[in-house]
Amino acid sequence: MTAQAGSAAACGLVACGDCALVSRPASAAAAGHCPRCGAALAWRQPRSLQRTWALLVAAAVLYVPANVLPVLVTDTLVSSQSDTIMSGVVLLYTTGSWPLALIVLVASVMIPLGKLAALAYVLVTVQRGSAANARERTRLTRTVEFIGRWSMLDVFVDTFVVALVQLSPLMSVAPGPGVVWFMAVVVLTMLAARSFDPRLIWDAAAAREDRDGRPR
Amino acid sequence: MAAPADDAALPQATVEPARRARLSPVWIVPLVAAVVALGIFAERVLSEGPAVTIVFQSAEGIEAGKTFVKYKDVNIGQVTAVRLTEDFGRVEVTARIAKSAAGLMVEDAKFWVVRPRISLSGVSGLSTLLSGDYIGFDAGASTKRQKTFTGLEVPPIIDGGPGRRFVLHAPDLGSLGIGSPVYFRRLPVGQVVAIDLAADGKSVAITVFVNAPYDRYVTAGTRFWNASGFDVSLTANGIDVRTQSLVALLEGGLAFETPAFAPAAVPAAANAPFRLFADRASALKPDDTIATRYVLYFAESLRGLSVGAPVTFFGVGVGEVVAIGLTLDERTLNARPRVEIVVYPQRMISALPAAQEKLADTMVGNRELRHAIMRRMVADRGLRAQLMTGSLITGQLYVALGYFPDAKPVRFDPGADPPELPVVPSPFPALEAKLSSIVAKLDRVPLDAIGAELKLALATLDQTLKDVGRMAVSVETQAVPALRSALDDAKGALAATERVMGSAENNLVGASAPGQIELRHALQELARAARALRVLADYLERHPESLLRGKTPEAAPK
Amino acid sequence: MDSVACRCCDLLQRVPPLPRGGKARCVRCGQLLATRPADPLDAPLALTIAAAIAFAVANATPMLRLSAEGREAQTTLPGGALAMWQAGSELTALAVAFCAVVAPACHLALLLAVLLAVRRPPAPPWVGVAMRWLERVRPWAMTEVLLLGVLVALTKIAQLASVAPGPGLFALLAVVLLVPAIATTFDADLVWRRIAWADARAQVRA
Repeated sequence: MTAQAGSAAACGLVACGDCALVSRPASAAAAGHCPRCGAALAWRQPRSLQRTWALLVAAAVLYVPANVLPVLVTDTLVSSQSDTIMSGVVLLYTTGSWPLALIVLVASVMIPLGKLAALAYVLVTVQRGSAANARERTRLTRTVEFIGRWSMLDVFVDTFVVALVQLSPLMSVAPGPGVVWFMAVVVLTMLAARSFDPRLIWDAAAAREDRDGRPR
Repeated sequence: MAAPADDAALPQATVEPARRARLSPVWIVPLVAAVVALGIFAERVLSEGPAVTIVFQSAEGIEAGKTFVKYKDVNIGQVTAVRLTEDFGRVEVTARIAKSAAGLMVEDAKFWVVRPRISLSGVSGLSTLLSGDYIGFDAGASTKRQKTFTGLEVPPIIDGGPGRRFVLHAPDLGSLGIGSPVYFRRLPVGQVVAIDLAADGKSVAITVFVNAPYDRYVTAGTRFWNASGFDVSLTANGIDVRTQSLVALLEGGLAFETPAFAPAAVPAAANAPFRLFADRASALKPDDTIATRYVLYFAESLRGLSVGAPVTFFGVGVGEVVAIGLTLDERTLNARPRVEIVVYPQRMISALPAAQEKLADTMVGNRELRHAIMRRMVADRGLRAQLMTGSLITGQLYVALGYFPDAKPVRFDPGADPPELPVVPSPFPALEAKLSSIVAKLDRVPLDAIGAELKLALATLDQTLKDVGRMAVSVETQAVPALRSALDDAKGALAATERVMGSAENNLVGASAPGQIELRHALQELARAARALRVLADYLERHPESLLRGKTPEAAPK
Repeated sequence: MDSVACRCCDLLQRVPPLPRGGKARCVRCGQLLATRPADPLDAPLALTIAAAIAFAVANATPMLRLSAEGREAQTTLPGGALAMWQAGSELTALAVAFCAVVAPACHLALLLAVLLAVRRPPAPPWVGVAMRWLERVRPWAMTEVLLLGVLVALTKIAQLASVAPGPGLFALLAVVLLVPAIATTFDADLVWRRIAWADARAQVRA
């Protein structure tokens, strides 16, 4: 174990991921099960970095079709119009409801992008063993985990618009191919955020301090 | 400042044990939630009306959860399920009726599916284009409640407004259909509401509904005629093109009028029977109850003379040709043309002062008297029959009666049956001059320009209809197949019209210029309508929301 | 042991450990000094029941109603997901159904089960499993995102046609208000402490 003084791991203890009970692991190699709730114990989330990277890359790839393909297809008596997420925001803005446009812009464009960037940043710094800004980076991962779900907003909006505006042939709205990719981006980034173990930030920071031989 | 008191020295607060049974006030929250939920549930159960089952032949346009039942355009229910009957032969539609309308579900209530029906005589159920098909409902008179109904396949005619029905009998239907308009002085005043074959299969009974207040113009003496399409008649009077309106032109229609000679009668009773005449001319022909037949022996060619050709007297139609043939001259044993005509003496004295009317009646009614008058006219004034050319182009002939005082006196024999009227030869030389002047006139008629204009108008219309057709395809095809087929029909009708126009263009050389003008007006109207439709389509393209919200004033550009 | 001064008479006195549901009163003037709730898990239980009822209403009644040109349409929460499925976007429909209906329902059901089971400690070990799943399902129960989504959809459609909120929307609002209230009153640590240990020997050692 590379964990350093102060952390539970450094004391040879492991905290249960479910009930938070700190217990002595069965052995260093296999932590065993939590004596209280019976959950499998682990020093850190297994293969956290790998899994997070994989999910993050998948999300980043899907982010392209999610934004390029239309999410809503509006058919009226005389025309058919496809809206991507961005053109939907523009449409909301031009029709005069800028607060709504802002909400959708933040939830559907900025949050997914921000999540991708933030997770990538944290992952890179952890892998490089950076010790700087550990506190801020931990807060960043917590924020990412917390706000990630709000990106589902657009999916819900589309669902209700599709469910309600079925006045064919006058006007009907159908989901476009982009909506499923967008949903996948949101789900994948949420999974990525959850699979990242923020304790790794501190482990890395502690390891760097240890190597540099000067306490913080 | 006193020193901090020793804990042990302090008095101890009284401890009250928990009172059992006491509930935390937080339980009010779920209680309120439960009450509200129960309230919503109870309101739902209590407001639920009966479910009725309607059996239709097909479920076209009916969708569970989307199709409504409407009475007087008010939603009174919603379709909840559509399934096949047990024998798979028909469709069972279950609808949940609002509680307020539960009382309407009686034995003789009627249900039918309202779909867009587009015909040129009018578009019915156009609102269903916007609202989707719905189930129409008409209340019954019974008070006996019922849960299962058989839906009507054809919408019943709801006598929505006042008016009366009349039954017309015709040998065939022609191009009429349910909904064909009925015109009175080119004003649409009613429509065909039912068509039945007579019990013996030999005629058709067409029930028309004439809206009030126009129904009072239908009297016992009123004549109905078929105003379908072009009424192009090629007669000795020239080409006569008549049409009631563009709609009637394309779709068929009926018209009625009360001829001047009809007795001023009271309005006809509802459901009174009438005869449907083939055209206006035959409809408005007086009933010639008294007819006198005469025979004419011409010495010239009868080519161009046909049965039904008019017999005129001073240019006024007083009879018609009833038979044409050859016969043998008893004296010379030579074949000679024989023309039999009828003359309606009533027409010769159509308007007399009231005082003389009685005299005229006796005069006309008495055969001897009639022949005596005729003999005097032939002998004293020189009444003769003459073949005249009605139309130079078509060469149609008619029989003109006129006075020729210089003619060789002839004896009129009233005893023969029919008596013979003397004839004079046709004035051919005079005709030549007339011919050349008319041909010159014809040259000046800008037929090419007129034709081009017609074609242009038709092309515009055709293009628009194509646009509309495309639109209809982009509209969910299963939603309005009726629309598409109706448009196809309309296109077909237009193509047919175009053909008619084409031939009319070739044939329309006759003197009937008023017909041409009428036609041009109609087509200009059509072109205008087509343009309007395009403007509408453009507007919708730019403002799709106006479909739902109605036209809004243009917002100022930002 | 705490010592307090009575707010009424300023008598300094000790407050002994209180039994459940018990109260401490000033020995001199009878002023209420301290209370200990009968059961700290009562409040979350009550709120959870309320939220479950509201959530049932939110699912059973129409969220939004639309009317245009004599046509009416309405949709419920599961109806929205169903419409998405029928419109050919099955995966999205599943995601919506999971995040909007299944996850919140599981969340509330698990909470209810846990809170009822721990009323009489020690709670059986399955409560621990339920607690674990509770944590896992929570991020996916997106009632508040859903509410905002419905409101945005309402405003969006309102530009096209007249649209009105249905009772389901208000029920959803109640759920959204109740869920954080549950979260603040719910003491997960207390629940864990009441659960019978999976490894009884370990408890003794601890």
